[in-house]
Amino acid sequence: MINRVFLFILLLLPAPVLLYEVLVIEVNDPIKYIYTFSGTCAIVLLFFTTSLSLIKSKVNLLKYRRMIGLFAFFYACIHFLNFFVFDAELDIDFVIKESLDKPFVYLGMISFLILCFMAITSFKKLYKKYNKYHRLIYVVLVLVTIHFVMAQKALSMEQWFYLFVILVIMYFKFNQRKGLFLQR
Amino acid sequence: MKFQRFNLKEKDITPEELFNNRRKFLKLGAAAVVANSAVIDLLAKDNYPTSNLKYIKDSNPQELELNTFEQITSYNNFYEFSTGKEKVKKLAHTLKPSPWSITVDGLVEKPFQIDVSDLIKQFSLEERIYRFRCVEGWSMVVPWVGFELSKFIKYSRPLSSAKYIRFETLYDEEQFPDQRRGVFGAIPYPYVEGLRLDEAMNSLTILSVGLYGKTLENQNGAPIRLIVPWKYGFKSIKSIAKISYVSEEPLNTWQRATPKEYGFYANVNPEVDHPRWSQAKERVLGKFFKQKTKLFNGYEKEVGHLYADLDLRKYF
Repeated sequence: MINRVFLFILLLLPAPVLLYEVLVIEVNDPIKYIYTFSGTCAIVLLFFTTSLSLIKSKVNLLKYRRMIGLFAFFYACIHFLNFFVFDAELDIDFVIKESLDKPFVYLGMISFLILCFMAITSFKKLYKKYNKYHRLIYVVLVLVTIHFVMAQKALSMEQWFYLFVILVIMYFKFNQRKGLFLQR
Repeated sequence: MKFQRFNLKEKDITPEELFNNRRKFLKLGAAAVVANSAVIDLLAKDNYPTSNLKYIKDSNPQELELNTFEQITSYNNFYEFSTGKEKVKKLAHTLKPSPWSITVDGLVEKPFQIDVSDLIKQFSLEERIYRFRCVEGWSMVVPWVGFELSKFIKYSRPLSSAKYIRFETLYDEEQFPDQRRGVFGAIPYPYVEGLRLDEAMNSLTILSVGLYGKTLENQNGAPIRLIVPWKYGFKSIKSIAKISYVSEEPLNTWQRATPKEYGFYANVNPEVDHPRWSQAKERVLGKFFKQKTKLFNGYEKEVGHLYADLDLRKYF
């Protein structure tokens, strides 16, 4: 229980940090900053949750998988709300137009909708019925990786490194779940 | 109401150091009144540099709201240092802006080299308060100091066969860390930009050597950079080492890197989106709410005629 509370606080911590930086430090370009910050949190946590089964023989964190996944969704929500409320200024026509028009935007949108579905169906009753569709997480991982690359004008060394880490995780994940991708 | 006259505690007493600082500040203020009124302007707000350039002030007739010196000098796209806009300031100390030689060649009567300090002496400096709009969607207002590019062009005497002007940023792996990375560099170097000669001759186009009255900071493109206020920021090339007159349209760096997304013209245009994001609005640095982007960044009256016959969607 203590562990769970500790993990909860740890995962929530970036949120007040973001608030502090935007409201108190007043970063130069707040909307852009919220995008980068929340997007990074969401991606890192998404890859982290899917990696838990890879490391379960060393550290078994599987029982926290849902909580970590929901936190990934929480940061994805901040990311989406930043787009809808601050960037698009609640202009629904604009949001729809951009979502249909621009691959960069619709990759993010599709991922967000899948995450919404997964978050809603992550609770006991619905999970029983829908858990097989939670494999859609792999679609999300691919889409958000492309989305992340597209958000840059040019990739820095650092970002190439992140991409490398992502590919390593994807490789191990693919090996582990070959059956899912190849079989039948 | 009760008075507690003689009940002063330790914390109520101004420490001597602060007391003296206050006196120093007042003295400084008094000196400024005597010296010149511009100093007062600067003292009124903190974090502003002391002016070291002589220039004619811009009266700012449009009453543009300036971004702070701090904002302008700590949010920079300068890929030779880093792709991180907040990281450039810290890394930029490796650039040595003096002495700084500029080579002028191509279709000119006589190619030459000149040091920036000598070049500046040829022209009187003036302040230009311009909007600056980045292709990424952020913008600011900057009080540049410089001289019109047209004056430099007349000075350098190009041939009539010259149709375009091409600029190059310094290539020096010692001074620019990202140039050392070869194929792992963020973009190909040296950075190249260009203008049609009539764009270059427009009186809005300047070569800037300072901002807020002070010599350019390294991160802003010291010692000399181009400013083309009606085009996206990447056209305004920094730390220029070479200027060439050419007959063909130069292939600028961003067009070379991603031709589907960046063209030669790069005129600010809210109607023509970047393939990945809208250009209809912009985020002014330091503000939370966006503002509408104007055609040619609000300079349509001055430059619109240059593009009367141009399909702005095709020539983005």
